[in-house]
Amino acid sequence: MNDSPRLPSSVSRLKALYLFVAFIMIVFAVRLFYLQVIRHGYYDAQAKASQLKQYELPADRGELYAYDGGEIVPLVLNESRYRIVADPELVTDPEKAALELSEVLKIPAGELEELLTREGTRYVPLAQKQTKETREAVAALGLPGIFTNEKQPQRVYIQGSIAGQLLGFVNDAGEGQYGIEENLNDRLNGEPGLLRALTDQNNVPLLATGDNVQQDPVDGETVVLTIDVSMQRQIEAILEKGLKDAQSESGSLIVLDANSGAVRAMANYPSYDPAAFTKVEDAALFQNAAVSSPLEPGSIMKTLTVAAALDSGSVTPDQSYFDPGFFTVDGATVRNVVESSGSGTRTLADILRLSLNTGATWLLRQMGGGELNQQGRETWHRYMTEHYQLGKRTGIEQGPPNEELGTEAQGIIPDPTDGYGLNIRFANTSFGQGMTATPLQMAAAVTAAVNGGTYYRPTLVAGTIDADGNFSEKQPDIVKNDVVSDDVSAELRRLMENVVANNNRTVLREGFQIGGKTGTAEIANPAGGYYEDRYNGTYVGFVGGDTPEYVVIVRANEPKAPGYAGSIAGRPIFTATANALLDNFNVSRKSN
Amino acid sequence: MGYSSTYSQRSISSLRARSRINRRQPGESDAVMRKHRPDYSLLVVAGALLAIGAVVVFAIGPSLTNGTDLGENYFSTKQLTAIGMGIIGFLIAAQISLHKWMKWTPMILIAAVFFAIAVRFIGEEINGAHRWIQVGGFSFQAAELVKLALVLWLAQVLTKRRQDGHMSSHSTLQLLGAAVFGVIVIVAGMQSDLGSAAVMMALIGGMAFIAGLPLKNIMIVGGVVLIAGLIAITSSQYRRERVQTFLNPAADCQAEGYQACQALITVGSGGVIGKGLGRSVQAYGYLPEPANDSIFAITAEKFGFVGSTIVVGLFFVLFRKIFLIAQSAPTEYMRLIATGVLLWLSVQMIINIAAMLGLLPLKGITLPFVSYGGTSIIFVMIAIGIVFNISRYTDLSVKSGVPQSPRAQASTARLPTFNRSGIEARRA
Repeated sequence: MNDSPRLPSSVSRLKALYLFVAFIMIVFAVRLFYLQVIRHGYYDAQAKASQLKQYELPADRGELYAYDGGEIVPLVLNESRYRIVADPELVTDPEKAALELSEVLKIPAGELEELLTREGTRYVPLAQKQTKETREAVAALGLPGIFTNEKQPQRVYIQGSIAGQLLGFVNDAGEGQYGIEENLNDRLNGEPGLLRALTDQNNVPLLATGDNVQQDPVDGETVVLTIDVSMQRQIEAILEKGLKDAQSESGSLIVLDANSGAVRAMANYPSYDPAAFTKVEDAALFQNAAVSSPLEPGSIMKTLTVAAALDSGSVTPDQSYFDPGFFTVDGATVRNVVESSGSGTRTLADILRLSLNTGATWLLRQMGGGELNQQGRETWHRYMTEHYQLGKRTGIEQGPPNEELGTEAQGIIPDPTDGYGLNIRFANTSFGQGMTATPLQMAAAVTAAVNGGTYYRPTLVAGTIDADGNFSEKQPDIVKNDVVSDDVSAELRRLMENVVANNNRTVLREGFQIGGKTGTAEIANPAGGYYEDRYNGTYVGFVGGDTPEYVVIVRANEPKAPGYAGSIAGRPIFTATANALLDNFNVSRKSN
Repeated sequence: MGYSSTYSQRSISSLRARSRINRRQPGESDAVMRKHRPDYSLLVVAGALLAIGAVVVFAIGPSLTNGTDLGENYFSTKQLTAIGMGIIGFLIAAQISLHKWMKWTPMILIAAVFFAIAVRFIGEEINGAHRWIQVGGFSFQAAELVKLALVLWLAQVLTKRRQDGHMSSHSTLQLLGAAVFGVIVIVAGMQSDLGSAAVMMALIGGMAFIAGLPLKNIMIVGGVVLIAGLIAITSSQYRRERVQTFLNPAADCQAEGYQACQALITVGSGGVIGKGLGRSVQAYGYLPEPANDSIFAITAEKFGFVGSTIVVGLFFVLFRKIFLIAQSAPTEYMRLIATGVLLWLSVQMIINIAAMLGLLPLKGITLPFVSYGGTSIIFVMIAIGIVFNISRYTDLSVKSGVPQSPRAQASTARLPTFNRSGIEARRA
């Protein structure tokens, strides 16, 4: 080794090393310039894409209240529920997580494991609308990739499962469906707020920077409904029992406030529990038949015909006429029901008491100056559409607010000038056939006819409660205040009281004014004409002291029990309803 | 012939004793080991880097403790403690004479190998790697001790070999080969710490290169390292993925390439002047290891191009200072130690930052002085302390290198005359 070659200088190699390091430092500086100056926009956009998140701050959905007597009580409230969600990419041990979650959520572990291992998504809902307790139990498991913070509003029905169709429900997306919930959806939902913020990787907003935007949500309105929960509960029971007694499978029952148009109770049978809307198999059950399903109302229409004839001055209250027992019109025959057939001199009271189709036809002739003609048809048509508001939607707060999509039916009133067989067609309308109306339309029209002539727009909304708890009452909406004159209205009440006094003595109560009228409506066969053996039973009536306070309408679809449908189904249900109203809901007594 | 500095550990102390009385005479050699003021700029630059690291760790404290029950300042407090211990380590190391280091080197090496092996069995497993030993409340990273031990041992061995004229012999190659093998087995294999192994390989190869190992032999060592590296990479699925990720990071930004992609986004989103100290978003869960391996990217996000080039510039100033000290070191041993420290710090810094800039695959290695982590800070401060001590003996007038100067050669030739121990150098 003694003559090993001269070794390279360590200092020159040291310099080479130093120059190499210096070169790398320059490379770094150039690279930093490239990344941070030239490509800054690109990387900043990439950073923002993952850091900047936009959230909707959900507004609380407005709650629904209603009356119980004079008191405002909760009907539909909110409760916070939680959606349990997984990010499969962050779940470390799907098998174990599935087992643990399975115990808490009561979902089969296999099902959960499939969800937890799902690919191509970072958001998999595992369970909906879990209670606070379940949510806390899931959070306590401390599983990575499982999130429990997502709130879901849940409607709770404080008064139990009443008024299902009237209320509607709120679906998982937070949108109201059917009934009030859908009609007032925008008002109930309020305006969601907006939060745009830089967040950490778990989407928790970081400190405020220029990019953060916060806009507070506007909570939905708290709405007070016009219905009385006790009355609603009672008439639902009355309707169900009455329909069963008459062997009818379905029907509706409405109680209107005679002096404001407020719907105090509105029931359909069958109904459903809005808290369990997912269990309903037939979507038709969601419809509020009282406003969505028109029918030919039958003889209850005669109350409106009498009032129109009186108000138009075509007849006088004490006028009588000779009834031949039938009329032949346009080659068709107008007949009466068996018991009241036969000819004789009849009064206005007889027309309603005996429910004379010929009498109603006579009233229509009087409106035409003594014969069935265009003048009479036009007068009666004007009363039906412009005075009684038939053939157009009432605007009741049910279903989609958009009129085109609305669930409320408008009914059909035939045109008085256009078409063939107009006289027989209009003769039919005078006793409630050949035209259609919903139970609510009929109730509102009769209300106007008996309350002194004021047509109030029927409503389910009594007012709103603001954030401070102040109730602001909605004023009744008067559509027309001269539907009929005061005198005519009083005369109609007297005539309807007379019907009750003669035909329905069970409901007579000392000190109260009770009037009514049955209807046994033929059912149109889509193939033409009417069914021979199928009828709907209807009834319209009122109770009150000196003036009517409640107007009641009953509809029973095709009762099978023997007898006239209006008498065997409509009348008993009205009787039970009237008694319930008089017993429990503070109806004023007559003053004398 | 050839290079002829001939002192051993004992000769250094005698030289130093001599230097105190040996005032420079006109015309006398500049290469005499005369003690003078040390290079305080080392301390200033290292201190600046430590301060930047501490500030960044403090600023992202809330993101580090988010979701734990630790206080927001938990990590910055620990970091300040580590810096305090590092300064103590620096002060002690700066006072320990080089002959003591020489004397302790075998012990330090044995301890380092012991801990490096022991960590495999008693160490804490983090992400499949065994790198830390828990001692009391502290976790100790054995690899840092190994780096220090390697610098000291290589400096000693290579000085001796050089003096003995054995640099080109097969035995030197075998010795270096054994060191490489040991690093591969213990650090890369048993600890799965490829980043530290790479730094150590660079120490072995780099110091041998500086010590004058013939280029042919360096290529042999390099070839062995390269083959070992390829085996290491291909033997592990994890490393294969890392390399694939590096070659095409954008292909898989959501999974394996996630950290690499996020590092680039973090650096790039900083822009020219950065988002500001408290405005880092990427530290909040987007970029893994924001206080450790990825702290440079977070710094670049906070302080932008201006800040990140200042950090790179500070490192460069530090490297340049160490280089100048090594260049004007009076003895081969001191030069090799300073060179080793230069290699250690620069290679580690380059591997770390290059990964953050998408120039190298991720290794899992700290940025010296800046990254959170007590062991790293304490050991690099000890290393800087040793270099600081060496800076007391540099020949202030020599710029071009001792051995090339005829005067320097003349003076070094005279060195043995100061050697009172009687140890004679073998001469060519």
